[in-house]
Amino acid sequence: MSRIEEIKARINCSMLLQHINQAVCFVGRVSKVHPSGKTFTAVDGEGKTVTVELNCCLEEELSGVVEVIGLVSNKGVLMAATYNLLREDRGTPFDLELYNEALKVIHDFPQHYPFEAAVSG
Amino acid sequence: SLTISFGLINILPISPGWRVMLQNSPQVFNWLNCMAEENILAQNCVCVLKRHVTNVLKDGRRVVIILEIEVIKPAGEVGGKLGDPVPYNEGKALKYFIIPLTAQKVVSQPAPAQENRLPLQPQNKMEVKSFNRDFGKKAPLAMPSTPGGSSKVVPIASLNPYQSKWTIRARVTNKSGIRTWSNSRGDGKLFSMELVDESGEIRVTGFNQEVDKFFSLIEVGKVYYISKGSLKIANKQYTSVKNDYEMTLNGESTILPCEESGDVPMMQCDFVPIGDLESRDKDAIVDVIGVCKSVDEVTRLTTKTNREVSKRSLSLMDMSGKLVTVTLWGEEAEKFDGSGQPIVAIKGAKLSDFGGRSLSASFSSTLMINPDIPEAYKLRGWYDKDGHAVEGQSLTELKGGSGGGSTNWKTLSDVKNEHLGHGEKADYYSCIATVVYLRKENCLYQACPNQDCNKKVIDQHNGMFRCEKCDKEFPNFKYRLILSANIADYGDNQWVTCFQESAEAILGQNAAYLGQLKDSNESAFDEVFQQANFKTFVFRNRVKLETYNDESRIKATVMDLKPVDHKDYIKSLIVNIRKLAM
Repeated sequence: MSRIEEIKARINCSMLLQHINQAVCFVGRVSKVHPSGKTFTAVDGEGKTVTVELNCCLEEELSGVVEVIGLVSNKGVLMAATYNLLREDRGTPFDLELYNEALKVIHDFPQHYPFEAAVSG
Repeated sequence: SLTISFGLINILPISPGWRVMLQNSPQVFNWLNCMAEENILAQNCVCVLKRHVTNVLKDGRRVVIILEIEVIKPAGEVGGKLGDPVPYNEGKALKYFIIPLTAQKVVSQPAPAQENRLPLQPQNKMEVKSFNRDFGKKAPLAMPSTPGGSSKVVPIASLNPYQSKWTIRARVTNKSGIRTWSNSRGDGKLFSMELVDESGEIRVTGFNQEVDKFFSLIEVGKVYYISKGSLKIANKQYTSVKNDYEMTLNGESTILPCEESGDVPMMQCDFVPIGDLESRDKDAIVDVIGVCKSVDEVTRLTTKTNREVSKRSLSLMDMSGKLVTVTLWGEEAEKFDGSGQPIVAIKGAKLSDFGGRSLSASFSSTLMINPDIPEAYKLRGWYDKDGHAVEGQSLTELKGGSGGGSTNWKTLSDVKNEHLGHGEKADYYSCIATVVYLRKENCLYQACPNQDCNKKVIDQHNGMFRCEKCDKEFPNFKYRLILSANIADYGDNQWVTCFQESAEAILGQNAAYLGQLKDSNESAFDEVFQQANFKTFVFRNRVKLETYNDESRIKATVMDLKPVDHKDYIKSLIVNIRKLAM
């Protein structure tokens, strides 16, 4: 939990392996919830899937677009520290593909998106 | 072009060239020629007429001008006449072939003796006269004064000031009216036109006598043989025609109609794929062609000079899968029919950076609907087969801004850096900005209750309110808003004035209700302003430098405001970022 204070890079599935053991922020659409309620899969804006493991059981129905903050395990599984459902019932639905395009921009031009500097400063 | 083979029956010396009788069953033709030594036209040879044109003389006789001829079987090999040719008489009309001045040398072989069929041909004198009459030259066009005379048809692209004897075959793509002038040196008149052939285009001007000679002869869309104009470096200021030279007609110039014009292009266009427009500079003049995927209704707007003009936007898509918005103006906008998703080509459209990239057809652009050119057929085929299913990505993002005028996106720092509003006329721009301050003091005023009048009324303090404009007194008034606000974006801020509609849109309440609140419930009134603060909108603003008592200040007025369509905005930002990275 203490690692939540770290800078969390926003990533999609193709960037998981470059962030092993790092705190990340992932946004995707909930795909399948495991019956145990301890894990679920989510799909990103490119249609790729990630497995998310929770540290405690799900107590509510999980569906729609979710933002997960956690650590990427050696195996590319997202160990969630916290998650947040993005409501789509009010106004504009969340455009995951567009989010993915914006994500690519942030990663393609790190010199213009110095998140590290912002946090440390 | 047509190739006809003939057997050469006879050849006659007719000064200064040759007249030859050809056979191509069942017709017999006469013609004059100068032939190169190598390619000797001798009696009984077989030749191929490679390029020619037919002209009809005033008396109905036809003249065929041969441009290119090739001997495919020399006389020696043929061995005598082919068959038994008879003269062809189209009623009273007789056909003639005349070869204009060629670059080839005179045949060194002497001409054989006359055949007895020759008397069936009209007299030399008559022919010569008719040429004179019809070609308007002192000597017949077809007879070169020197054997090396050069009127071979050359491509427009090869024209230059260093050669004076040439002929081009070109289509007139546009022709101006006659313009006259009168100055201390006298009077004059001129007209100009643009010509196109397979190799390129050129601008042509005729002055004074040439106007009289040629103006009425020239028809736009028709093809002509033009010879001996003067060439000089082009003044590109007046034209977008792509040629380093331009032509002036002179006393020696000739213009002849050309019948065989099928392969001369209608227009010289250098089409830019819509997808490539992103990398072109704004303000570039380009030629485009695409399928008109959709078209808006005609709108009328009042320009800054209070002139009413019609405007219509259409969306063009080509095989690059990209779309661009094109704006038409005036009559072109009114007459445009986009039904059936026609192929639209525009020569000389103006590229702008409105909404990313967009095009505008100016008065100097040429708009063609379903032009008869290969590119149009290709597009039609592609669209009908695959293209109609392509969603396409538009280069003209963000259709925000008010109904009038094309969107001119600026950031608030652009407005200051570019000194918008400093010119003679007001400038209009669109921006995305956040309200950071609203001045609630004096935002409401008491206005004349008349529907069409918004003038501030004077409180007579007797329960009556006087309007000077209507020259009447009323027992009431209506509240109207003039709201002073500060809006900001990442780079700068701007003080703006919002009148009734835009003020109500920002505050989310109408003026009457606000007036009531102000009089009765201060805290509720304040609350409205609190709620409205830090809202982001798409603003369409008017900015103008105003001078008042020796002091000049930029006044910005909000003409229109809209909520931000975040998806559109984000897409536009991504497009712009990627573009910057290129």
